[in-house]
This record gives sequence, structure tokens and C-alpha cells, in this order.
Amino acid sequence: MVAGWITCGKLTMVLRNRIFLLLLRLIVGGVFIWAAVTKIADPLTFAQDVRNYRLVGQTLSFLTAIILPWVELIAGLFLIIGIFPRSSALLISGLLLFFIILVAITMLRGIDVECGCFGTFSRKADIWLILEDTAWLIMALVLLFSPANEFCLLKPGSRVSN
Amino acid sequence: MKIKEIFGHRETWQGIAVILGLSIILACVTQFGLIKRFWQGEFKQGFVRGEEFPGLVFISLAEAESLWASGEALMVDSRSREEYAAGHVPGAFSLPLVEVKNGQDNLLQLLPEDKPLVVYCEGGSCQTSLALAKILSKKGYRNIKVFSGGWEEWLQAGLPVEN
Repeated sequence: MVAGWITCGKLTMVLRNRIFLLLLRLIVGGVFIWAAVTKIADPLTFAQDVRNYRLVGQTLSFLTAIILPWVELIAGLFLIIGIFPRSSALLISGLLLFFIILVAITMLRGIDVECGCFGTFSRKADIWLILEDTAWLIMALVLLFSPANEFCLLKPGSRVSN
Repeated sequence: MKIKEIFGHRETWQGIAVILGLSIILACVTQFGLIKRFWQGEFKQGFVRGEEFPGLVFISLAEAESLWASGEALMVDSRSREEYAAGHVPGAFSLPLVEVKNGQDNLLQLLPEDKPLVVYCEGGSCQTSLALAKILSKKGYRNIKVFSGGWEEWLQAGLPVEN
């Protein structure tokens, strides 16, 4: 029991460590930037990937393919450089949650698709993708709920505290 | 940080609005050409760049029927073997996308190179016919027609069926 508390305390310490949080920001933000760039480079392939999920029609697939990669890119970039890091983490968490639900629904519907996650580097939308996205979601949530706001261009709440 | 603090903070929502707003602006600016082409109706049936997939066009039920009836084109069924066995367009060649993707390329050698190919799948919002057509185009076929209405539209029109 005591050992459990110590481990828990250590974990909390790690999760609050500013270097660890910065590293996490770089990893999560970096992956989102990379994912976005591969899609921005080939929007029509991504539009077809979105369409293949058979959830939305041609127009919405196109609009999603045009706008979503930019949301990923800016949220990832803002998370790293620290402009609205809380909003970026929230947006990234929301997107990941949406991707997990989307892949789960697609699997339940028995539709076999490429995930479209990383442009031409995409893989199948399957249970492994759900697990992978869950890992990313956990990292994004750690950032969302972390108290630290170090190394930020715009510190969250700075205007309030000053 | 508690959930209440995150969601209750105005700055959180301001940040989201800034990110979304910037994304829409940048998307419109960088993809203006593509948006214009979409607006003009170029990608209404499939996200296919003509220059990337030459010879790939979309056709209606009437066109598909006429090409089939005259024997001018070969109908290609991109659905699974089971779906094909349950019923297909008479004379259609079964070329399941899943098998082609799994590397069973020898199936492609059975396709005639001089005949137009009419590729179809289940219909509705099915996408396997287009995916197969893209593969065929990459393999060098230059006369591929995607019948988007597919099997569903063929059945609804009461056209002949083969089991």
C-alpha cells in the first residue's frame, strides 16, 4: 500500500516535470504536424480516404480534407511553441477521441478502409489503430490537465494573473 | 488543472476559435485552385485528378447499360467473390479489390487491353470500384469507366442478372 503511494507520487512528479511535459509537447505536436503535412501535400487522396469511411458525402469529405490537416498543423505547432497550448491540447484530444470513435464505428460496420492518418503512409483502420490513437490521447490528456505552462510564447492565463 | 477550469476559461475557447479560423483561412488560400475545381463540379463523383489518372471517367447507368448491351466493354465487378456469386451483371469479370490489393496481380493479366472496362461495386456510397479503377489506371489501362451507381442501381432498373 505504502509502496503504491510512493509509485503514485513518483508518477505525479514525472507528470508534472516541466522537461517531461515539454518533451511530450514536442512528440504529440510533432506527430500532428507530420500527419498534417502528408495530407496537405495530397488533399485529394485524403478526401478519398475520408469518403471511404462512408460517413459523409462528397462535399463534406472534400471540405474535411481541405480544412482538417490545417487544424492539425496549427494545433500541433501551437502546442509546441506554446501559443494557446491548453486550447491546442483540448483540440488534439477532441480530434483523437473522434478518430477512435470513427474507427470503431467503421469496424463495427464492417468497412475495410485505409485510415488516411498519414497520407500515403497510411495503414489499415483496425483495432491496433484504436490502441495507437488511445496512447496518443492519453499523452494529449496529460498535457491538457498538466498545471505547467513553461516554455510558452503565450502563457495560458497570463493576462489574468498579471 | 480541473475540467471545470479548462472548459470554464474563456481563453481556451478563444484559442480554439483562433486555431479553427486560421485553419479555414490557410486552407482556402493554399487550396484555392482545388476548391475552384470542386466548385466547378470536377470532383463531384470521385476525387480523381484527370492528369493523374488519364482515361478514367465516371459513367451513368444508361451509359453502362449501353456499353454492356453492345458488348463493346467488359464489365468488371470489384466486389468480393461471395457478393459476385450471389448475383452480378451478366458476363461480368470478377476482380475483387481486396484480392488485387493482396497482391494477386495475376488476375489483371486476364483483362483484355483493347476493350473499355466498366468497373462497378455495390452502389450507394461504395468506393471499391473507384479504388480498383485507380489501380488499373496505374497499371497502364487507359479506357476505364467507373459506374458509380453500381450493382444497386443495376438491380433497381430491373436489368438482367446472372448468378
